[in-house]
Amino acid sequence: MRRFYTVAGVLLLLGLFSFIIPDGLIFSDLNPDIAQGVQDVDKVDLHDSETGFLSGAWAGVKQFVAYSGFANVTYKHLLMLLVGLLFIFLAIRYDYEPLLLIPIGVGILIGNIPFVQDAGLKLGIYEDGSVLNILYFGVTAGVYPPLIFLGLGAMTDFSSLMSNPKLMLLGAAAQVGIFLTFLGAMVLGFSPPEAGAIGIIGGADGPTAIFLSSKLANGVNMWNGETVSNLIGPIAIAAYSYMALVPIIQPPIMSLLTSKKERVIKMKPPRSVTRLEKILFPIIGLLLTAFISPSSLPLLGMLFFGNLLKESGVTRRLADTARNSMIDTVTILLGLTVGASTQADVFLTTDSIMIFGLGALSFMVATAGGITFAKVMNLFLPKDEKINPLVGAAGVSAVPDSARVVQNEGLKYDPTNHLLMHAMAPNVSGVIGSAVAAGILLSFLL
Amino acid sequence: MISIILLAALGKFSFIVAFVGYLVVFFALVLLVIIFTNIPKLYHIQIRKKLRRKGKYIDRPEGCCMAISGETNAAIGLALFLYFNELHDHENMVMTIDKVSRRYSPWSSKIYGLTNYNFNRK
Repeated sequence: MRRFYTVAGVLLLLGLFSFIIPDGLIFSDLNPDIAQGVQDVDKVDLHDSETGFLSGAWAGVKQFVAYSGFANVTYKHLLMLLVGLLFIFLAIRYDYEPLLLIPIGVGILIGNIPFVQDAGLKLGIYEDGSVLNILYFGVTAGVYPPLIFLGLGAMTDFSSLMSNPKLMLLGAAAQVGIFLTFLGAMVLGFSPPEAGAIGIIGGADGPTAIFLSSKLANGVNMWNGETVSNLIGPIAIAAYSYMALVPIIQPPIMSLLTSKKERVIKMKPPRSVTRLEKILFPIIGLLLTAFISPSSLPLLGMLFFGNLLKESGVTRRLADTARNSMIDTVTILLGLTVGASTQADVFLTTDSIMIFGLGALSFMVATAGGITFAKVMNLFLPKDEKINPLVGAAGVSAVPDSARVVQNEGLKYDPTNHLLMHAMAPNVSGVIGSAVAAGILLSFLL
Repeated sequence: MISIILLAALGKFSFIVAFVGYLVVFFALVLLVIIFTNIPKLYHIQIRKKLRRKGKYIDRPEGCCMAISGETNAAIGLALFLYFNELHDHENMVMTIDKVSRRYSPWSSKIYGLTNYNFNRK
């Protein structure tokens, strides 16, 4: 509950500030002397022999002050710095997704240090040629998400999915969140590419969300002659925040949509899967999904490639690198640059608030979609093969958080009913489903 | 009524994207389900054929054999692991000392040891 209050508090704070603080209310407005100082220093030539030592030194000090963060700070910067610090605090104090929140939190700090814009300093993430901009290229060009998928593939065990393939349908059903959110975003006035990028938050998959938003809502591409807004930062932050909030969002929906009798359904233990099946899965999966939706090739190609490295048994070193050092390196770069992309002037907009609202809605719809479909499937399944509808909630990707939530909820009603392995099947199929959905949206909206 | 208003607000395009998109996701995963439901069956047929050819396969009526679930197998595996892991704690307590005979060497001699020097302690 504490986790819910803290994150909800952050989001509320962001919302309130973006509504309360009008654009352009900056510190230098309140202190015109400093603002004037930035103008004046350019006029004083420090190399001029006519300039006296003292006046030259004074001009130098003024120049230094004008370029410092104190002279350029705005309320929005301070707010974002506060959010960054809070992310770091939550990660360290409550061990709350530390692998993501520490890089993102530090990224927010780095991205929101105030400095003189357009002075050719090449500091900001949106300034061409800056170090951060070069690292950010991995996000805008969609380089990092496929690499994350490679590591993910090398980590994931698909055997639970292969032992009971019909559970894959739950992963497909939960993708309803993506498409309903897409419609919702369109109703709120977003352009189709922006709406597609926002909708993918419902896929509950951070890398997929970043990949699609970097293609559809990157502030460069056009739709009907108009430039599409840059929504990568808000979408990524929303996707990762809600993924961390899965233990709060899902349980009420799970108990609302299921009866007590359904929650205690015991499922058959998964059968053991042969090595040949494990090797065939990534190969067939890759060929099939890539033929259906070639646009999702960068994500699914890497996911299945990583899985083949793991399952082939002959590329242990490559699999180890993919699932350890490589995914760690990319996570650091991705987290840092996504955090830094939340530069106050780009991030604190009413669009961001709407994205957070739509993101929450899409998670709820996706959860409900998975559970409802499990109930529908139960109508047609024989008595000994019934599915515990709680498992449907794991259809939203959020690997492995949502599967863990299903396990915990199942244990609440029957301490001997372990649903984790069953929940992993829709969980990983949700990853495949959301990547396919991203590919389809890309082919329609780009 | 709501759907008409929504349709008017959104236009046909959005609905087509949403509907076709969802359908394709389903289609892709349904295909995977079909394939991976049938692969084990094909695989077992192949194995049975091989064993029959070698004369090792005996057709058994359904339900005649004990089916052990994965969970039971895991429990048995864990129990065996723990059993063998703890085995070393029950060693017999008889200690034996092997007498090692070495040839004399001044390097290991006690009489040339540092402690045998008669240091002047005054």
